[in-house]
Amino acid sequence: MNGKIHPALLPAGLQDTLPPDAEFESEVTEGLIAAFAAHGYERVKPPLIEFEENLISGSGAATAAQTFRLMDPVSQRMLGLRADMTLQIARIATTRLADLPRPLRLSYAGQVLRVVGSALRPERQFGQVGAELIGSASCRADAEVILMAANTLKSLGVSGLSIDLGLPLLVSEAIKASGPKDEGGIATLNAALAQKDAAAIAAIDGVEPELFAAILDAAGHAEEALERLRALSLPAEAKVQIESQIEGLAEVMTAIKADAPGLKLTIDPVEMRGYEYHEGVTFSIFAVNLRGELGRGGRYRSGNGEGDGEPSTGFTLFVDTLLRALPTPVRRDKVYLPAAATLADAIKLRTDGWATIQAMDDEDGRAEALRLGCTHIFEGGSIHALKQD
Amino acid sequence: MLSNDKLIFAVPRGRILGDVMPLMKRAGIEPEDSFWDKNARQLSFSTSDPSLEIVRVRSFDIATLIAFGAAHIGIAGLDVLMEFESREIYAPLDLGVGGCRMIVAQPEERAPSDDPRRWSHIRIATKYPEITRRHFAARGVHAECVKLNGAIEIAPAMGLCQRIVDLTSTGDTLKANGLVEIEEIAKITSRLAVNRTAFKTRGEEISGWIERVREAVDAGQA
Repeated sequence: MNGKIHPALLPAGLQDTLPPDAEFESEVTEGLIAAFAAHGYERVKPPLIEFEENLISGSGAATAAQTFRLMDPVSQRMLGLRADMTLQIARIATTRLADLPRPLRLSYAGQVLRVVGSALRPERQFGQVGAELIGSASCRADAEVILMAANTLKSLGVSGLSIDLGLPLLVSEAIKASGPKDEGGIATLNAALAQKDAAAIAAIDGVEPELFAAILDAAGHAEEALERLRALSLPAEAKVQIESQIEGLAEVMTAIKADAPGLKLTIDPVEMRGYEYHEGVTFSIFAVNLRGELGRGGRYRSGNGEGDGEPSTGFTLFVDTLLRALPTPVRRDKVYLPAAATLADAIKLRTDGWATIQAMDDEDGRAEALRLGCTHIFEGGSIHALKQD
Repeated sequence: MLSNDKLIFAVPRGRILGDVMPLMKRAGIEPEDSFWDKNARQLSFSTSDPSLEIVRVRSFDIATLIAFGAAHIGIAGLDVLMEFESREIYAPLDLGVGGCRMIVAQPEERAPSDDPRRWSHIRIATKYPEITRRHFAARGVHAECVKLNGAIEIAPAMGLCQRIVDLTSTGDTLKANGLVEIEEIAKITSRLAVNRTAFKTRGEEISGWIERVREAVDAGQA
């Protein structure tokens, strides 16, 4: 790229958000945070950027390839610009807030930056809003965050919601017991599972195709898929571990059903990507006719690098996708105040919820009001609707 | 949105279509008559099933349409799926049609001094730059790809590069252009491809279609 860059050109995947979208985005974000606060989740705000080794350690390694880095001239260390906020919240919970009673409920909202976008989300910067429940291994904790996510989205106006439940440890345990022993074979098997390609699985050396075909088949409507998972004939060395995972999932489903019998639940036991560091129940949130996921979450261990860490669960919503799932925002009505209107008038109108635009000097009121995009005008002590052409 | 309530099934234009349509027919999908009219400009067609619509597009575009959820289900070659490598596409079924191989080829009369073990960087003409780069990177060679959309086999003769990555079934085109196969990258067949979100949110319909196509494939092989 030679020569002068056009002043409006932004780097790939970045954008200016304009009216009315910018205001709508912040309303939606604040609405989510307020809903989480009503569920007892308190907001924390980590910095945009921190030491790379903390940001991408442990489960943060999943986002390492997505993280922008720069050198800090002050500490002479590498810094990472967050590509995801979950790990920052876990860090806060296990260090600065380690002495607070468990389970600890935290929420957050902020922007993240990624090195490259994906085909479905070309944006390199977008908003995340989420909640984490730290220090409880109970199935009720899993159900609590799933229900909070679903109910909050529903009350915002998202329709056709469905929750896709996953169990990443099931496949990794099955691979350990009955999969290929070499790294290349395991990678091929994971790729084939991710594509739901039963033919490719059967072609891999050292794999029992029946077990993995049965796992692939246990996807879909949650009740039916759960029965198929329970009917799996499991290898002896992984049987206890996998069965306890499946029963854990069943308990979470029961708890969700009790409170939200109408919520559509599906299961996909091979939904693994992005859940490499999760254990227990994971979930992705979808809506009919909406591209990609609204959010995702699940059970993991939050630690500060010492010991086993704390059993935690939580979720992240992707604000850009969420905005596409909501009805387009309507611009709020604006009322035009002539220059002669008093401050008291203006304050009264704003208190009543109007956006006011006051004239600078005495032009033709109505024409000027229309030119500035006002929907109403304040004349003779009362508000009149303006006719739009 | 009414059209979104229908399932959109994408099928490839061209050679593969002849292999695919008998399969579709066995699965109970019969397109409207204009589908067969070679001169028609129409691109989307109703079928014998009122809940299913067919679109006919270029094979590479099928992966794009399905990845973005514009089509919910479709038929795509493994070559296209490998090149696209999207996590939004599932490929649950090998249809066993459209069989060919993806290979590396070079002119018969290569310099005897050329030792592939010493390569650090090679230039290759191909329609599949992603697959080619991955294939050679896995053995420590950087492949600089010259993207061509057709007539790949002519590139070495024209001095564009020494090697190509392309599909071959009989090997006739390679031979006619003085090229020999030196390596197979993958065996290619057509796959049933499904959009991930559709699989999650419209699972029952989608599984129903996968099952019907699976039965049609089995019936064809029996």
